[in-house]
Amino acid sequence: MATTRTALSRATLALYGMAAVTLAATASSAFFLWARHASPGMAVAAALPPSLVLGVIALASRFLCNALPLRSASRSSIAIGHAGSAAAASGLWVLTWKSWVPALNAQIATQHLDPDYSLLFALGVMLYVAAVAVHYLVLEIEALREAEDEVLRYRVLAREAELRAFKAQVDPHFLFNSLNAVASMCGSRPLEAREMAQRLADFFRLILRLGALERITLAEEIDLVQRYLAIEKVRFGDRLTTHIDVDDGAAACMVPPLLLQPLVENAVRHGVASMVEGGTIDIKATLEDHMLRIVVDNPADPDRTDARGEGIGIENARGRLSAVSEGRAMLQAAEAEGQFRVVIELPR
Amino acid sequence: MIRVMIVDDELPARELLREFLAADEDCEIVAECANGFEAVKAVAQHDPDLLLLDIQMPKLDGFEVLELLDRSPIVVFVTAHDEHALRAFEVHALDYLLKPLSHERFQQVMERVKRAAGHDRQPVSGLATSLRAKPLQRIVVRGEDGAIQVVLVSRLDYIEAADDAILLATSGNKLRKQQPISEIAAQLDPDRFVRIHRAYVVNLERIEKIEFYAKDSRVAILRDGTRLPVSRSGYQRLKELL
Repeated sequence: MATTRTALSRATLALYGMAAVTLAATASSAFFLWARHASPGMAVAAALPPSLVLGVIALASRFLCNALPLRSASRSSIAIGHAGSAAAASGLWVLTWKSWVPALNAQIATQHLDPDYSLLFALGVMLYVAAVAVHYLVLEIEALREAEDEVLRYRVLAREAELRAFKAQVDPHFLFNSLNAVASMCGSRPLEAREMAQRLADFFRLILRLGALERITLAEEIDLVQRYLAIEKVRFGDRLTTHIDVDDGAAACMVPPLLLQPLVENAVRHGVASMVEGGTIDIKATLEDHMLRIVVDNPADPDRTDARGEGIGIENARGRLSAVSEGRAMLQAAEAEGQFRVVIELPR
Repeated sequence: MIRVMIVDDELPARELLREFLAADEDCEIVAECANGFEAVKAVAQHDPDLLLLDIQMPKLDGFEVLELLDRSPIVVFVTAHDEHALRAFEVHALDYLLKPLSHERFQQVMERVKRAAGHDRQPVSGLATSLRAKPLQRIVVRGEDGAIQVVLVSRLDYIEAADDAILLATSGNKLRKQQPISEIAAQLDPDRFVRIHRAYVVNLERIEKIEFYAKDSRVAILRDGTRLPVSRSGYQRLKELL
């Protein structure tokens, strides 16, 4: 669509440009003739054919402008190129005058035209240069529009990448296992089954809503994480305990949505789930000196097989964090003595 | 009567299987386990006819459990991960149940189990060893006292052949495992482990240097000073990687 629109306007613009140069050339040169005692009608009749030639030449100068782009061609080659072609174009325009005026004089006995050819030459150069300037202006505007299109395209691509990341952030096996737990409770504990189904629905609804926002408060993100952990606690029972400590300043900070959720999901899937006895997921967030600091701690079996996705979740979080903070935020992941720790520092 | 063992690290998952089995008069639950270690012990103790086995569990996964078994019960995997299905059939598991479990499907599988129960079966353990996910990430070993050890392959220095067994060397320790060296060599990551000799597979990262020993024979010196013989063909393989 965009290309058709540009192509159409380009053709129309070219015709308008040619007409404008022809009109300007006709008007100005006719004025010179009239100043030298030609009648207005005669002056216009004399000026029109050479002006039409100049209009076509001025239109064709677009190709030279394309060949000598302002941004990349050297200044001297632009100057020399256009000076040469200006002289040639104006020369051609004067030549047309010189062959047209005698013919006109021979036809019309009442008046004798005697144009000042050097003045006409100067006029030709001026009009040609003006046409070149307009060409460059149009080229610049087109380049600008293309750059804007490019930015728009990147925005769409970034949005798509985010959507993909979002899809990857919730492990489908989490849903399958949770539904299995619901199925298991249906027989003996129907009320709990109903509650679990409700929790699952609430969690997915919330993740869809928050995922569509640019920024959310840390308090909202923590709420999401707590809902997720409540569901996992049904599956893991006593093996999963959690401890969350967020100070008031930190809770009000804005963060990209679903920043913590995949990290906490990692902490469950690859951490607590790898331990026979389970363990505690510890989340702590503080705000000090305009720096939001979030720490997620969990135990992990050093002998676990490194499942696919463990590193991807952290890489995703790191990528999103640097995108929203222009590189000022940091995310570190480290493992020592059976403890896995992720630290996020985000300037406020 | 079919004697059944349930192995799953999640309580609700065990409860659901228990409920399904309670409705079947021909079945009896002899043990429930929440991790792979318990499962290996319980199979030796109870000798079940049927193992309902989860795959992703702490310490030992379902495939590793099978590798460590002396007996061959009928195996039905119960998991949320359908990507393991192919491997499950390769280790001669009878069937594969996906979570969330369908009762109808469970009953069909139990009918198959009952038909198969009387017949001789192919042992699962040997097959499990050769068909584990490749490249191997960890090696499970059962000591003579029955204790199970898990060795991450990234911690291996080298593997030495000793008769029909292998010795797994990790920072001074040597663990014995009943397995031909050719079999384990084929399962390791070929970019990280090289068979430098008929009797040795070495972790490339551990090699400090290679020295001439005598005409046509070389010796690999590891970071900890261990010296391992390098055969001529072993040296060819090393050269291709270094």
